[in-house]
Amino acid sequence: MRRLASLCFALLLGLTAAAEDRVSWEITPRITAPGQPFRLQIIVESDVILGGAQQAGKEIRPPRGMALRLSGQIVRSDSNEATINYSGVAPEQAGEYVIPAFNLRFARKLIAVPEIKLLVSDSVAFRRDAQARAELVIPDRTFYVGELIRGAIRMRGGEEEAVVASFGLESVAEGFTFTVTADRQPLPDELGQGMQTTFELTPIREGVSELALNGTMLIQGPGLNAFGNGGRDRPFAFRRKLAVEHVPERGRPADWSGAIGSFAAEAVQVSKDQPEVGEPIRLRAILTGSGNLDRLITPELPSGEQWDVLPAVERRRHAEEQRFFVYTLVPRLPGKLLTPPIRFSTFDPLTKQFSRIEFKPIEVTVTGTAPAKVDLIAADPAAPADAKQPKPVTGLAAPAPRRPSAFGFGAPAAPLAASPAFWSGNGLLVTLLLVLTAATLYLGYLAAHPEIRIRRRARAVIRAALVAAPRQASGRDFAVTVVRALQVGAAAVLGAEEEAMTQSDIERALPGASRALLDDLFIRATGERFAAHAAAGGSGDDAAALALLRRLLSLL
Amino acid sequence: MRFLAALLLCWLAPLGAAEPAPSAAEAAYAKGDYATAVERWSEEARADGVTAARLAALGNAEWRLGRKGRAMVCWERALLLDPRDPVALAGVRHALNAGGTERPALTWSENYAMVLTADLWLIVATLAFWVAFLCVIVPRLRRRSASEANHRARLVALTVLALTVPGLWGSRSLTDRAVVRKPEISLRLTPTQLGEPLDGVAEGDVVRTGRPFNGHIRVTTAAGKTGWLRAGEIEPVRGAGLPADLDQKAAP
Repeated sequence: MRRLASLCFALLLGLTAAAEDRVSWEITPRITAPGQPFRLQIIVESDVILGGAQQAGKEIRPPRGMALRLSGQIVRSDSNEATINYSGVAPEQAGEYVIPAFNLRFARKLIAVPEIKLLVSDSVAFRRDAQARAELVIPDRTFYVGELIRGAIRMRGGEEEAVVASFGLESVAEGFTFTVTADRQPLPDELGQGMQTTFELTPIREGVSELALNGTMLIQGPGLNAFGNGGRDRPFAFRRKLAVEHVPERGRPADWSGAIGSFAAEAVQVSKDQPEVGEPIRLRAILTGSGNLDRLITPELPSGEQWDVLPAVERRRHAEEQRFFVYTLVPRLPGKLLTPPIRFSTFDPLTKQFSRIEFKPIEVTVTGTAPAKVDLIAADPAAPADAKQPKPVTGLAAPAPRRPSAFGFGAPAAPLAASPAFWSGNGLLVTLLLVLTAATLYLGYLAAHPEIRIRRRARAVIRAALVAAPRQASGRDFAVTVVRALQVGAAAVLGAEEEAMTQSDIERALPGASRALLDDLFIRATGERFAAHAAAGGSGDDAAALALLRRLLSLL
Repeated sequence: MRFLAALLLCWLAPLGAAEPAPSAAEAAYAKGDYATAVERWSEEARADGVTAARLAALGNAEWRLGRKGRAMVCWERALLLDPRDPVALAGVRHALNAGGTERPALTWSENYAMVLTADLWLIVATLAFWVAFLCVIVPRLRRRSASEANHRARLVALTVLALTVPGLWGSRSLTDRAVVRKPEISLRLTPTQLGEPLDGVAEGDVVRTGRPFNGHIRVTTAAGKTGWLRAGEIEPVRGAGLPADLDQKAAP
């Protein structure tokens, strides 16, 4: 009985042991260098069929400075085993890092994964230049509330890997406003292959705040494959504590209105340098530099004895690192006046000093007359009220509303000068007549110079003959075409009738032309006209005949 | 002889016919009920259209009611339609001499332009241009030399065209005027709410207008002072007809 009981207990123990889940993990390489990519593989064996893992990357919490991202899972629907792969990048500091225990949720079961340790050692040989890597570029100093901080994430390619894309940038910037200004921009040439994402931070409260940035870059290289150690996606994670202070109150000028950065007064322009008294002009001051240009409040310019100042809106879009202050100035007095100076204070976060920016006044020559001084007492109070001579009263004329208008019509709906139909109709008629006149003059000129038309026609006939003659099937047709063109061309040159042109005339038009060739062409072309069975003439030199035509064409 | 007598009778018949009965507006004006006269003439103008005589009569009634601004607008517009309308001329003269209003002195081109209306100047100039243009073009189209008559017509047309230029210029400057519609306002140095007052202008004063800015219009007074007035304080001489009702709020 006792033996049976111990047997049952042993069997029960065995069943219990079989019901436990087995979780193992492996980090490749086992010990990594600072900043080196690694792969974490978690293998799960269970007593039930697991199904697919759900949100396998959500619950894992990598330690500070370590980037970790789910890169794939191998789960078969009919198997009780699963393999989950993560790709990561080791922290920059050497030491032992622990990934806390977490749960993997499968379709059928929740599996608890124990804590995982990663050893980061400086003694491991790792060539950083060979791998693609991400760098956070941000000034290392104390920042100030309201300051504009420009930073960037540089994703630099290595000797064996190239960065081809990036995605999934997430930021946690408590105490800051965070804006991505340019994404996936190419790196400057001196930094090699890669891309960068630039951003702007503005601290909004005092104290130490943490900036956390996570993302993934897509890399390509000759030795990479989907399940390789490096993987195609490589995560990056940055956590940086930033100290923020208020701009010091000590030494703060009264006219400081929040300008933080390094600025310079570039130029002052006026829209008109010789206005009249009372004529508004536009004053534009251009400020350049790096800092919170967009947050600057336009310095206030009070109106004075010489100028009345009105607020104005700049319609032009300002460029980066440039800001316009625009005012409308109205001169009150004539003469050479200086525009009011524009002054304000700035705080330089690098030197931690306040400085003064001043736009120098420029001279404007105001024309016109000065307004008369306002006399509070313009008249002698002792003088009688009716001291002025009364003007003669002329009286109103008796109204005659039915009197016809002198020009026979009443008030038009709109003045004729404002009628588009009037101006467009007149303009159209003038244009039409001018075109007609030009056409008439042109035709008259052609009529007065008939040789222009004759030569133009001759050129057309010769060009057509040059194209058509080589295509003729028989030698006679060739000769007819060429002789016709020669006659037309020679007639145009000599100013004679085409039909009357003989070989001699053509020789006159084309001195040096072969008489034998001309005779042959004419016999072939016109022989049948005089004798039906006359000899067809020689075979002739077609190329020479065409050359004659080209020569004639050049004379026209 | 009998025929001539009949013809003379026909000619004299309309002259001898009784004058038409005065309208309600005329009767009201004659009785001194100027408000009714204004109402009636305004209705007539809206129904039958605006004429110089009707506007001049309306100006008289407005003046009698003490509305100098509206009266000056009516007279000035009547003079734009008929520069020799006697009622409007008398009204303007009365306003300047006895009414205390001011009006910029007319330049020589404006005096010249008042011989005709602006539209007539433009029509005459257009006709002269076309005659001259056709005189030049037609002989060329016909390929004949211009005849003696053509040369004469061309010369006459070009002369008329040259004579219309100052008329057109004067007409343009005549329309660039406005009448002050608000009593006792100040000409301001700058186009701002708190612009420094330069000089006072009164209702009914006529000013020359310039460009608008910031809800104001640059004006020059009869005394030659230049400054700014709010756009709602003046009414342009060139307008749709009857004076605007400045008390009526604009539709939203």
